[in-house]
Formats: sequence, structure tokens, C-alpha cells
Amino acid sequence: MTRTDTPHRPPAGEGSVRRIPARRRAFRPYLLSIPAVLLIAGILYPFGLGVYYTFLNYSAMVPEPVLVGLANYAVVLSDPVFWESVRVTLAYAVTTTVVETVLGVGIALLLFRASLVGRMLERLLILPLMIAPVIAGVIWGLMYNPQFGVLNHMFGLGSTFDWLSEDRALWSVVLVDVWIFTPFVAVLVLAGIRSLPREPFEASAVDGAGALYMFRRLMLPMMWPYILVAVIFRFMDSLKIFDHVYVLTAGGPGGATRTLQIGAYQNSMTNLNFSLGSTYMFLLWIIVFITARYLVGVLGKAQRRAAGTED
Amino acid sequence: MSTLELRGLGARYGKKPVLHGLDVSVGDGEFFVLLGPSGAGKTTTLKCVAGLVDRADGSVVIGGRDMTGVEPYERNVAMAFESYALYPQKTVADNLASPLRSGRLGTWTEAERAARIEAVTTTLGIDHLRERLPKELSNGQRQRTALGRVLVRPADVYLLDEPLSHLDAKLRATMRAELRRLGEFSRTTTVYVTHDYQEALALGDRIGVLRDGRLVQVGTPAELWDAPHDTFVARSLGQPEMNLLPARADGGVATTAGGLAVGVDTNVSGPVELGVRPRDLTVTAGEARPEGFRVRGRVELAERLGRSVELSVRTEASGGGPGDTLIAVTDDPDVRERTAVTLSTEHSRVHVFAGSDPGAYAHRVGSARPRTDTEGEQR
Amino acid sequence: MATRERRPGSRRFSPAAAGADLLLVLWFAFSLFPILWMILLSLKTQAEQTSTYFRFTPTLENYTTVLSAEGERITSVDFTGALFTSLVTSLGAVALSLVIGVPAAYAAGRWAYRGSGDVMFTILSFRFAPELMVIVPLFIIYNQLGLFDTAFGTIWVLQLVTLPLIVWILRSYFQDLPEELEQAALLDGYTRTRAFLTVALPLVRPGIAASALLAFIFAWNNYVFPLILTGSENPTVTVAVTRFLGGGGQAYYNLTAAAALLAALPPLLVALSIQRYLVRGLSFGAVKS
Repeated sequence: MTRTDTPHRPPAGEGSVRRIPARRRAFRPYLLSIPAVLLIAGILYPFGLGVYYTFLNYSAMVPEPVLVGLANYAVVLSDPVFWESVRVTLAYAVTTTVVETVLGVGIALLLFRASLVGRMLERLLILPLMIAPVIAGVIWGLMYNPQFGVLNHMFGLGSTFDWLSEDRALWSVVLVDVWIFTPFVAVLVLAGIRSLPREPFEASAVDGAGALYMFRRLMLPMMWPYILVAVIFRFMDSLKIFDHVYVLTAGGPGGATRTLQIGAYQNSMTNLNFSLGSTYMFLLWIIVFITARYLVGVLGKAQRRAAGTED
Repeated sequence: MSTLELRGLGARYGKKPVLHGLDVSVGDGEFFVLLGPSGAGKTTTLKCVAGLVDRADGSVVIGGRDMTGVEPYERNVAMAFESYALYPQKTVADNLASPLRSGRLGTWTEAERAARIEAVTTTLGIDHLRERLPKELSNGQRQRTALGRVLVRPADVYLLDEPLSHLDAKLRATMRAELRRLGEFSRTTTVYVTHDYQEALALGDRIGVLRDGRLVQVGTPAELWDAPHDTFVARSLGQPEMNLLPARADGGVATTAGGLAVGVDTNVSGPVELGVRPRDLTVTAGEARPEGFRVRGRVELAERLGRSVELSVRTEASGGGPGDTLIAVTDDPDVRERTAVTLSTEHSRVHVFAGSDPGAYAHRVGSARPRTDTEGEQR
Repeated sequence: MATRERRPGSRRFSPAAAGADLLLVLWFAFSLFPILWMILLSLKTQAEQTSTYFRFTPTLENYTTVLSAEGERITSVDFTGALFTSLVTSLGAVALSLVIGVPAAYAAGRWAYRGSGDVMFTILSFRFAPELMVIVPLFIIYNQLGLFDTAFGTIWVLQLVTLPLIVWILRSYFQDLPEELEQAALLDGYTRTRAFLTVALPLVRPGIAASALLAFIFAWNNYVFPLILTGSENPTVTVAVTRFLGGGGQAYYNLTAAAALLAALPPLLVALSIQRYLVRGLSFGAVKS
């Protein structure tokens, strides 16, 4: 080893030292968050205004609205059209979430096997997910067309079979949702499976456990948090579905696909009854909020359990 | 070149306090070692000195200037982190150049920087790694790079957090020896954190033993070795750890449960602990010199540890008690299990700790002395 | 999972594996067919668009028509203008979100300051809140302020899409970054700003790139905001594509297909370029891969 000597130089700025009181140091993160908080305020203001509208009789006919208390809620909650929208929304959300979760987990498991076919196709998995849902709606609208749509031709259904008739429309828009969003569940769950530790599987293989046993007792519990994340995203998004449904059916025929957000759009933007539309939205918002709270709680529990910190 | 003073330094992690008012004064150019088990608050102390802990109580004084509220980059201290904290996107050379490029530590020309980096990397034996990225280094090489980023620059205080912990045993011994010889350390006030007592004894001008956020004892290695403040400090230094035998003192004699009796100061009474370091005990077959502390016994277990042999000896008590177990170390390879031996040492090597509360560490009150009563210690 | 070890070369044929591959092929047939069908439709002439399915003479004419002034005359949709508007609003929204979101994500990732959880949860709630709750009042406010049908108005409202994504993804990246790296920079003599810019920021660059590109995709693909808050001046591509369908009487399915594909192309290209980071982004940092 050679001896080394530090050349000694006086540190710059000796003598004049800035002092920052502890209180100002603690303020630093708030300072950095100010722009975001301002933006949040800019978003929360219209939200608050929207809630305020629900207590007015505000519409294009009534440009000088007055407070009407809970009248809008009374109207909406006693309107069978609203309850039909609730039913359609829940049916839509539950069906799409269940179907997409089952298919997505299945596809993830198939892709996890990493066969040659699987690895070639995996890169194409997310294509439908990255196309704008409204454009997916346009594409499927063209395919559903009874006269020249390719589906009726390929399945020999003739030109009278209407995919978007009153009793089929809901299932047809659900099918489009499945087409778009199943890859979302699949990529999330696939990433989850790939991040699982290998040791438990090797250990239980040594113990002579069967494939089915390993899947049910080991893989599924460890995958559960990932599946739940996917389910939460899908269910919450489905509750406020709008884009492809609106472009395919605009809520029709009748009210067959009139989800809550489409109903709110019709009230607010077509009939220009802002108060009624906002009431629809606020009720949907409450449903979404409660669901979110509940599901996030379930997720936290599942994550702790998968991490082994709770039984 | 500066002194460093901690005055009532306190820190908390969330609501839990981790430092309870440390007071210590480190002299200019002194090499001060903080020794303690993990969780004692060693790293937190360093970070407080560096100004990296936002909510610290008390004050840090460097070169006579109170550093309260002064930003880390204006304190002119350098720190080697235990996690290395090397910039992953920069090569070894660029990591070392970082402090020299900041402009706050003097102006360096490109050539001066290169020369300085070359000198330091050569000293640390990592000159051939200068163009590597941290991820391409072994842990030991990373640790030396982190040390290099400290040594490369002038500073009032060096703060080193376990800088040798990830080196292999051989390299650690070499580096320990070399560190002391580096000019940087003889000139720059250094606080060195370790949990390794050998490093502390070998490197420290003085050592501060930290336990649960409190400084238990501050002193030179010799002071800590010869007169440990309490049983915690006593057992922190030395391997095998100091023998501690619970005893009861009465009338100038302390008697263990096993029947071993030694003379103590007459004003010591009640429960005590007798401590003697295994390496302070001389092991002889048969009789030993008559003066000092001595005890006969039988070897129950002999464990060969390289050149020396670690013995577990069951003593034969004069009063007919069941005997005590003492650990001793000998270089004599002929000592085998079940042989009779005599263990002896000077009285000053037998420490007496007065137990205060059960569960707490007993404080040293002095050492053993020749017995003044008629019986004699042991024939 | 013994199958995990297998490499294609060493795999022997088994009926189960073949069945699994068959199922995968079935899904991908379903998944890719609509896209292939759109490509075919976009290559047909006006005369062939409704009269034939798979046999026709391909032409690229529809693409040139959609992008030309002539196409605008026929369909009364200024598609080139819409593409430009989408580009401006999406890029603008991402840029604004980065400026606002990077400091906020850093603050939330570095310090557990009081209220940080509330700020983060509120930002996340934007992602899940039904859009119309905000758009209807904004529609009225925008009309009063003159922001209706402007690029800036769209950029502002797109923050609901881009900000949560960027803040949440980047927070997870900042959380992964050891605090001691920046502390080392402080002791090297760098101010907090310089430590952030020279140490932290370069290390989260992959996260910034991935979240910005993903935010770009979702901003580009958004429909409901421009549907309500833009008119004839500044519609985005998603709105413009739907206008091909509404054309008075005459149906231009082939042009619609070409426009749909053109509108879908930018996000698809971006998505394929960031596939490695996609999962972490899609799950808002919840799933790291």
C-alpha cells in the first residue's frame, strides 16, 4: 500500500452557513406536493359542484336553478328506469368480471407453460387492450352488422340475426368487453405467477404432491392477491363502463344496455337535465366508493395472508 | 481538522426513541470507535452527525460550530454507508469523482482529480476496477469503493459505518492493519462504527460502547479492557466471553453457588458477579504459584480451536460445594478431558461486579484481593 | 412445477401439451380476428365493402382518402386535424402530469408525511371515479370560461387519466430507490435539488419513460372527455372515428376501418415498445414484474 495524502483545501463557503429550522425541513414534502394538491383542488371543485347540482333543479330549461332538497333523489330512486340501469350495470359488471377473470387466469396458466406456440403468441396478447375501447366498439359494430357483418356470414346466421337486439345486446357488449379486457387479467396474473417463489413447489414435489393438489393448495393462495388486483380493476371499471357500449348501442335498444353512466349521459347531455344526470352519477359514485373500500380491504387481507403474516 | 462534540444527542424512529441524549467529545484527529450490537443506535448516531436525521434533539458541534439546522452538504463530513450507497449508474472512478466534482470541496482540475482517484484506489487495492460499475463488483470491492469515496476527499469528520464488515476474514485483518497507517485517518477526526470488538480494540484511540441508545462507557481500549464499566461492556470485549459467576459477598469474602470463595473489598456485600477473562487464566497441570487467584478443577470439555484449546473446567470447591464451570484457554495441546488442572491469575484480573437490580447489568466495583480471613483461598 | 424447467427443444409430444396449445391458439384466433378483419375491410374499395368478405382487390386508397382534404369533403370529418389534436392533447397531458406528478410521487415515496396517504388515495380515486360526475359540471364551467373545444381544456381534464397513473407508478419506483444514495450525494456536497436531479432522477428514468408512455396511451385512447368537452374544432381521433359512422346516409365502412386502424396504431406501437414495464403500469405499481 502506498501512502496517500489528501491535498488540503478549505471547504467552500466557510463561515457563512445557512441554517434551516426543523419546522421548515418537515415542510419539504408538502412543498413538493403543492402542484398536485392544487390540481386535485381543480378537479374536486367540479366534483363538489356536481354534488351541489343534485340538490338543484338545474337544466337547460331552468337556467336559474333553485335548491330543491332531496327531490332529485326522490325522483331517481322511485324511477323504474333508474333501477333498470342499476340492474344492467351490475349484471354487466359481474358478468364481465367473472368471465374475464376465469379466462384471464386460464390464459395466464397456459402461457406460463412457456411452449413455443405460447411464447410466440404472448407478445400479441395485449393488442386488444391497447386499442381504444371506443374504437374496439366501432370494430365490433362493423362485425355485428346484420347485412354485411362478417360474423353473420361466417356463422351462417343470415341477415336477420341481430346481435344488438333487445334481448341479445347486453351479452354482445359483454363479449366486446371480454375481448378487450381479458388480456388485462391475463398479463397481471401471468406476471404474478412468474414472480412466485419456486421453493414451495419443489418442496411439495419432493413430498410427492399431485399437480392438482399443488395448484389448489399452493399456487392459488399465492396467486390470489394478483387475481384480486385484476378483479378490483375490472369490477370498478365495469361499473362505470361507457365507451364501447355507447358507440355500439347508445344504451339501447330500449334500456337494454343503458348502464348508469350512459343513463347519466342521456340525462345530462341529451336531455340537458344536469341535476338529474348528476344525481345518477352521484349514486353511482357512492356505489363505486363503497365497493372500492370493501375490495381494497379484502386485497390487503389477502396480501398479508399470502405474505404469511396472517392466518 | 476539527473536533466533534455531541451534546445531549437524541433521535427517535417514529415514536420510539433510539438515542437517549449522547454526550461525547472527540478530539481533533482522534480515531473514535462506536462499538455496540445491532440496534444500539450506532448508524443513527453517524447520520445525526452527518445531518441526515431531520428530527434530532440536542446538538452536534463540529470544529466549535453548532451544526443544528445546517444542511448535510454544508457540514463537510464524509460517510461510508454500510449499504455502500454507491451510485449504480456510475463507474468506480466516477463514484470517487462525485465529491470532487460537487464544487463544494475545493476546485479540482481534471488531472488533479484523476491523480487523487488513482492514489486512493491504489491504496485500497481497487485500482484495476476503476472502470467497473458497482454491480460488477464483489461486496468486498464495493465496500472498499465506498471507503474510497470518503478517503478521496478532504473533510472535517469521517464517518465510517462498518466499513470492513463485508470483507473476508483475511482481507479484513489486512485492511484493519492498513487503515491505521493511512495518513487520512491520522489527520482527520474519525468516527468508526463496528460490532466487532477486535476492530474496536485495534483501531480506536478511544472506544464508546453503545447499548440501547445510551453510551455505557467511553475510554481507551486499555481502560475498557482492564476496567469494564459493567458486565455488558465486559462481555462485549474478548472471545471467549468473560466468565461471570454469580456470588454473594459478606465480610470481605465472595462465595459462588459452586463454593468458590475469593477476597473482596470489605464494604462490598450482597449479590455480586465475579468476572474473569478466559485468556487471563493460566492453565497448569498440578500446583501453581502460590500468590494471586487460583483454583483447582477438572477439564470437562476440551475444544481445539486452531492453535489454542478452549477448556470447560469444573472447579473443586474448598467448602465442598458442587463446583462452578469456568472457561479457560490454553496453548498446551496435552491438556485433555478429565485431567486435573489449576487455573490461576492475578487478583487484579478478577473483576467484581455488584448486582443492582435483577436483569440489569452489574457495575464493576473493583477487583478481587487476597483474603484477609484465616482460611486462605484454597490449598 | 416441473414444466417450468422445460425448454421447447427438450419437450416431448404429449396430448395435454397439444391440448393446451390448441386452447391458446383458439383464444388468439378470437383475439386477433377482429383486427385482421379491420385490416381487410380497410383495404376494400367502396364498391366491395359490403358485397364481399374475404376475396377482393386490395387498395390503400382508403388510407389516403381518410387523411386527405377530399376525405374531409366526403365524410365531413377532419381526420388529420383530429390526429394532430390527439397528439397535442396527449403529449400535453403527459407533460403536465410529469411536471406536477414527479415531485408529488417523490414526496410520497420518500417521506411518510402526514396527509400523504390522503393525497395519494384522492389521486387514485380519480382513476376509479365515474367520469361524468366531473365532466358535467366541467362542461358548464368550460362553456363559461371559453375552454370548451380547446386543446388546453382537454389537456386539463385528461389529468384525471394521466396523473394517477404517473404518480402511483413513480411512487413505487421512488420507494424502491434506497434513500442512502441521495444521502451519499448530499454528503458529497450536492444540494437536495442536485442530489435529486443527478442521483434519483436518472435511476427512475425507466419508470418515468414507462409511466409517461402508458399515460400517453390512455390519454390517446380516452373517449368520454373529448366526447363531451370538444365540438367541431378540436375533437380527438377517438371522437373523429365515431363520426365516420354517423355520416349522412351514405355508409363508409371501409373508410371507418382505415380511420380506426390509423387511430389505434400509435398506442399499439408505444405499447409494444414498453411491454416489459406494462404490468407494473397497468396495476398502478401493485404488481412488479
